[in-house]
Amino acid sequence: MKYILDKVRENKILVMEESLSSTEEAKLIEETMRSISEKFSGIEVSTLREKSDSGIREKIIKLLGGRTGGLTVIGPSKLIKQIKKEPKRISVLADGNSMD
Amino acid sequence: MPFRKLLGWFKGFFGKKKVIRLGLYGPPNAGKTTLANKISMDWTGEPVGKVSEVPHETREVQKKEKVIVKVGGRTIVMNLLDMPGISTKIDFEEFMQYGFSAEDAKQRAKEATKGVIEAIKWLENVDTALVIMDSTKDPYTQVNITIIGNLEARDIPVIIVANKIDLPGSNAKWIEEAFPQHPVVHVSGLTGSNVNDLYNAIAKHAK
Repeated sequence: MKYILDKVRENKILVMEESLSSTEEAKLIEETMRSISEKFSGIEVSTLREKSDSGIREKIIKLLGGRTGGLTVIGPSKLIKQIKKEPKRISVLADGNSMD
Repeated sequence: MPFRKLLGWFKGFFGKKKVIRLGLYGPPNAGKTTLANKISMDWTGEPVGKVSEVPHETREVQKKEKVIVKVGGRTIVMNLLDMPGISTKIDFEEFMQYGFSAEDAKQRAKEATKGVIEAIKWLENVDTALVIMDSTKDPYTQVNITIIGNLEARDIPVIIVANKIDLPGSNAKWIEEAFPQHPVVHVSGLTGSNVNDLYNAIAKHAK
């Protein structure tokens, strides 16, 4: 979490080839709130999960310390104008430029 | 967790009525406090908290204890917990657009961040949750997904409330399609429209 927020506070947009779990998302929001200041107003974040992460295969992968795929986009809210989330796609509008 | 379930069963078996901690979750301005006030006024005659157009009006968990709801032949005793809206960003400059001074806006922002943290921590301590969404807005947002995901991970019953059905542009079907795994009740917390459906849903799903 610290690494993610440090990079975002440097005005960087992170694209990670893994999805955050719901618990990790909540933790990220919590840590973001602790980091908010006059200069940093928070983040825009969106996660795509590949499929349900409750299957046996996925549980074994996680038990062995692995990740089950997916995508997460996180950036400073002042840089990212909008993240539009759909079940299988994330669209990011950043500072006047758009990307899918 | 298994011990809590066993204790709950034990209390139920011996007839002690359990007080259900009902958490009202959602993004800012979804109408949580308006709905909480409606429920509280209906059953206690008193409101829960203050409402305004300015986001993050609720910055601490507002509680109304021992709200007794009688519906469908069932009596439910609940502690109503109106949560601060959950957001991934809080910009004090936004509050200044509503007429706050810079100093007051910064103070409000500071309180709002603490409120979000408190609402997240309360996810561990609610028995049933209403996740309130503005039916005039796209429901498929990361905040809504995160809230629901965390409640599901804790096996907490979720009732989704498609609120503001009194407004033009309301599209509650949007919400049903986004979250088909949970019951969705269409209401207006402001006018009280269909709120009886919500009470029936609470009676059916709360634990």
